[in-house]
Amino acid sequence: MPDLRLPIGRAIAARLIVILAVVLLAPGVAAADDPAIAAGAPALVKGFADEGVSLLEDRSVSAAVRAERFRGLLRRYFATEAIARWVLGRYWNQFDAAQRDEYYRLFEDLVVYGYAKRFGEYTGERLRIVRTVLDSNTQATVFSEIDRPTGGQPINVDWRVGGRADVYRIVDVVVENVSLSQTWRSDFSATIQQSGKPAALLDVLRARTAQLKAEIGAAN
Amino acid sequence: MPRSVRRLVGLVVAVSMAAAVAGCATPPDRSDAEAYAEFKALNDPLEPLNRTVFGFNQAIDAMFLRPFADFYRLLLPAPFREGVHNILANLRSPVILANDLLQGEIDRAGTTTGRFLINSTLGVGGLCDWATDFGLPRHSEDFGQTLAVWGAPEGPFLMLPLIGPSNPRDAVGLAVDSFILDPFGLMGTLDMAPEWMVTMQYVRYGATVVDERSQNVEELDDLQKSSLDFYAALRSLYRQYRTSEIWQGHPPAATEGPRFDDFPSLPAD
Repeated sequence: MPDLRLPIGRAIAARLIVILAVVLLAPGVAAADDPAIAAGAPALVKGFADEGVSLLEDRSVSAAVRAERFRGLLRRYFATEAIARWVLGRYWNQFDAAQRDEYYRLFEDLVVYGYAKRFGEYTGERLRIVRTVLDSNTQATVFSEIDRPTGGQPINVDWRVGGRADVYRIVDVVVENVSLSQTWRSDFSATIQQSGKPAALLDVLRARTAQLKAEIGAAN
Repeated sequence: MPRSVRRLVGLVVAVSMAAAVAGCATPPDRSDAEAYAEFKALNDPLEPLNRTVFGFNQAIDAMFLRPFADFYRLLLPAPFREGVHNILANLRSPVILANDLLQGEIDRAGTTTGRFLINSTLGVGGLCDWATDFGLPRHSEDFGQTLAVWGAPEGPFLMLPLIGPSNPRDAVGLAVDSFILDPFGLMGTLDMAPEWMVTMQYVRYGATVVDERSQNVEELDDLQKSSLDFYAALRSLYRQYRTSEIWQGHPPAATEGPRFDDFPSLPAD
């Protein structure tokens, strides 16, 4: 008889352990899967939007100073190097260390001066975060909307955020389903193909960033 | 066949012949796998010709379209332009409805019908878009998208004279929308349109071109300034935009793009 009870008792005990394990560990498992980036990604985007708005609304400083402040924002919120590298695609391997360094610098300048030029057009738009979708444990998309100054349907802006632990960065901005990174990548690879050699991209970038920078300086 | 259709057919024939003569981009050698993959992904075997057409389009734009659009924006106040835009959009309702139905989108077909009824009456011939306030937001639809939903491949990228970025699927779609699905266009195709209607159609097409150009002034300026190769940027933008439209604004998430999780500078957890 005890031989019979023992297995039953064991089976029940085993079941209990399983149930306990599920109940007790479930939040832990969920947290390991879902965790930080689900809250971290929207917080990052909100942080960038808030700081961006105060930068845009502060008209007391010169355009050049605002451009450099924007560079600071960019470094804190965006994985600029990862973006620059992906944008270059297969030509990355054809650049030597010095070319890569210069490319990083020029890419950042292109973004900074290209956008800083348009800061004057800002008319008080605000960004609303709609929802966050986890693409993987290390990648999330934050969906947001920006109201148009003229009314009508808001502009959809999706932010792709990547990261681990508590370090997150924006890796792409998708405006009305058009990815900035994707567009740059096509643009850059066409520039290289038109000239026939990767190093020519650096010449074009050098000329363009110098021109943009001069225009911003002149706007003071 | 009415003159407009014959002209379009003539244009397509001329472009195809020019394509045959002007030649195609030389594909890279297959032994260079990366270069060959990139060539396939760009899907622009007619690039040299397309770039020539793009140059022509830009010249026409600089000479006529852009100045006209600028004048339009300068001389007429925003509410007036909004009204013109709404009327033109309302006129497109039958085309949108036909494509909603052809794609089996019954809900959207209902929205389009409701919008047309409300805006044509309360909205005074489409001048005001009240339907959006009634919870029937505007959406776009065209036969190029319908073909995509039906599974037709897009074909190679095409830069059409005067029309701009396209591909064979969208070019066919544009012709079907303009000459068959559009009631006024269909009457013209069947030579059933009275003289005044033909004239009004030309006015409508002209107004559509000016309206669209005037709506895109900043966007195109931005793209031109921010890109190194305007043609390539426009090509990429057009493809992404069409993909999004085909998926009704919710394209599948990109599987590739920059990532931040595989960078060694990050502290491991």
